[in-house]
Amino acid sequence: MAADNLPSEFDVVILGTGLTESVIAAACSRVGQRTLHLDRRNYYAGNWASFTFNGLLSWIEEYKQEAPETAGEEGWKDKLEEGEEALPLSSVDSSISNLEVFSYASEEAEEEEERKAPLTTKAETEDTTDGPAEEPNVVTPDAETPTEERGQDSESPQPNEGGTSEPGQSEEEEKQQQPMSCLPEPPVEVKKKITYAKLLKDGRRFNIDLVSKLMYSRGSLVDLLIKSNVSRYAEFKNITRILTYRDGKVEQVPCSRADVFGSKQLTVVEKRMLMKFLTFCLDYKQHPEEFQDFTQKPFWEFLQTKKLTESLQHFVLHSIAMVSLDTPTEEGLRATQHFLRCLGRYGNTPFLFPLYGLGEIPQCFCRMCAVFGGIYCLRHSVQCLVLDKESGKCKAVIDTHGQRISCSHFVVEDGYIRDEQRKSTDYRQISRAVLITDKSVLQSDSDQQISLVTVPPLDSSAPAVRMVELCSSSMTCMPGTYLVHLTCSSSGSARHDLAPVVSRMFHVPASPGEEPTEGEDRPTLLWAMYFNMRDTSGLDSSSYHLPSNVHVCTGPDSSLGNDYSIKLAEAVFCKLLPDEEFCPPAPNPEDIIYDGEAPQGEGAGFEENSSPEGATEGSETHQAPEEAGEKTDSVPQENEAQNGEDGQTTTPEE
Amino acid sequence: MSMEDYDYLFKIVLIGNAGVGKTCLVRRFTQGLFPPGQGATIGVDFMIKTVEIKGEKVKLQIWDTAGQERFRSITQSYYRSANALILTYDITCEDSFRCLPEWLREIEQYANNQVVTILVGNKIDLAEKREVLRQRAEEFAEAQSMLYLETSAKESDNVEKLFLDLACELIREAKQNTLDNNDTAPMPGEGKTISYLSCCSSLN
Repeated sequence: MAADNLPSEFDVVILGTGLTESVIAAACSRVGQRTLHLDRRNYYAGNWASFTFNGLLSWIEEYKQEAPETAGEEGWKDKLEEGEEALPLSSVDSSISNLEVFSYASEEAEEEEERKAPLTTKAETEDTTDGPAEEPNVVTPDAETPTEERGQDSESPQPNEGGTSEPGQSEEEEKQQQPMSCLPEPPVEVKKKITYAKLLKDGRRFNIDLVSKLMYSRGSLVDLLIKSNVSRYAEFKNITRILTYRDGKVEQVPCSRADVFGSKQLTVVEKRMLMKFLTFCLDYKQHPEEFQDFTQKPFWEFLQTKKLTESLQHFVLHSIAMVSLDTPTEEGLRATQHFLRCLGRYGNTPFLFPLYGLGEIPQCFCRMCAVFGGIYCLRHSVQCLVLDKESGKCKAVIDTHGQRISCSHFVVEDGYIRDEQRKSTDYRQISRAVLITDKSVLQSDSDQQISLVTVPPLDSSAPAVRMVELCSSSMTCMPGTYLVHLTCSSSGSARHDLAPVVSRMFHVPASPGEEPTEGEDRPTLLWAMYFNMRDTSGLDSSSYHLPSNVHVCTGPDSSLGNDYSIKLAEAVFCKLLPDEEFCPPAPNPEDIIYDGEAPQGEGAGFEENSSPEGATEGSETHQAPEEAGEKTDSVPQENEAQNGEDGQTTTPEE
Repeated sequence: MSMEDYDYLFKIVLIGNAGVGKTCLVRRFTQGLFPPGQGATIGVDFMIKTVEIKGEKVKLQIWDTAGQERFRSITQSYYRSANALILTYDITCEDSFRCLPEWLREIEQYANNQVVTILVGNKIDLAEKREVLRQRAEEFAEAQSMLYLETSAKESDNVEKLFLDLACELIREAKQNTLDNNDTAPMPGEGKTISYLSCCSSLN
């Protein structure tokens, strides 16, 4: 927090802290490159970020207030020397579009505070819920609801770091809140209705990812986390179930051997058919005769010849291979094989999810970069590149403070590139929806399930939608709620693509707080957000007019895994430093353990004035790194385990 | 080290302005070293020291900032799953004391709300250069319901006490949490939100 100047010479300057940029930063720093890593935002991970609920509301506000591009040249003219020219970067991000927010949670004050709260606060004209509604293209269904029964719905929204506080919250209200916050918590036996005020109050329990992906347990990301020892910075949970939406119902997909044999929905014959088929897929290359007639035909047609029942065909195509009706046979087989190979490494499904959300992962690589001397600066960007006219190469950058920083390589997230440097501005898009709901789409014995739900196209023109439902023990949502991410490749706006799936699978209240009718067993929506994110994953270096030592990081892509981004990071690293190893294991020089005895430890506590000084230190013992090897699914903190945190973060099953 | 080799494992995280002596505190405690004139923290990730308290083996995993504090760019993930935070300032540097509220805001945002926070005023060996009076720091710590201790990593004053007291406190809390698993009463100094752990257990 001290004011400090940046050094003016680096080997590599990296702008943007998304996954690809962060992996490159870690890789460069790890092999001794002097690395400067910047991001214009006040948070890490760019479009890969995750936010608390209140942080997300601030992000939405920022989206609405995005300033137009400034074309100022004043800042850098005097920094250029003879034979140099400037190449300006973009100061605005246009990768997010069609953002729409809907709030369905009751706008009452929290139950236990209802009596005490002044029920009618006319002065409070602006509901925090309505904040996003100021945007013309944002609709809140509650626009017409009377404000009469609203209490203190601005229950201390926590402004995000550097963010804006919610509109409509005056200081007076904050003061009013003060005494109430001291009330003791009520007993928790009764399942409380989740109000919007409660979402705000417990907003920091949410970690809402902009990108929704899972980690294949034998995918590039997991391999890299293990290889580099970056895995020690995060904890992971298994995805506990694979679900699919079929004939209007949510069903569990049996995918592991245990699932298949334990399944109650499959007949004995079906179990045998499925096992036989999956066993074949595991080493399909050894049996080319089985599929050679279908190499030119879709996987779907091949499946129909394998004596699988209709439901089994559905499971294999949509939930195991996760391909479309027209995917070629070999690609389908390869996808099925990859899925099956990932099973059982850490659990019953092929996937892991990081606690606190995917947004943690780029930060973990940034930490690795910093540990090896990389310098970090958020809220700090680059105005322009300094090009040498003769060689056309980038010699230096001029940062937003007007400082000239020389570098041999410049790595930049696509979002900082101006349209002038692009050969085409015709992009693919990803459609995203984020929902907060009150229960799982498939209720079971445990309310702590993390589910991947595959939703095949609802009709021939609709996209296949991928849904990830997270429970509170994934540390991404508050207890009593579920965080649901929907993703698909866009054909229209996010709402156009995804709202039909949402209204099929969830109860969408007609007005905020409306109780579902008797017999409604679908989860009720509390809050929903739709947006499109630009998908630049189809671009490569030939898509830009840029110097050869400027490397653009594209993505995130729309696929479920992270292979695209990790492979891109490795490819860029290889261009930068062709002779260096990519992310070799970080040594553990600090794994020197002093087995100290603390003779004065008895009764030592803060209240007592005991002096543990002079505790004798025992002999040094070198210990194997704790999280070394393949122990990605790391053990939760000892005291968490003791306290009944559900034990799914437990030791990996190899 | 296998799971059975210790009774408790705690993650302790250091925060505070650059140059207040965070790394020196860790080095002094874990290795008994004081590296004078040491620059930014390079290559130091976390250090481990196992201590024995009342016959119980306590493994302390102590994490340093890796220099990300220099431009106020600490990753949120750094705070995750920390059992204790050591918020450090330099008693000879008023500015490092004035930044404490900013650090407290980060803690509130990202750390578990059961986290034990201790405020440490380091460099008491430089008494003649003191800029922050002890009483002022004590009052600040009390107002924020933090524990307070003054240390010298150089002279090894109160460094052992800092970590061992912290370990004792963490054991005490861990034991209490196991006892009253479903108790939703907030911890002393804790905000109004009920804790993760009691919430989770009440759902189970």
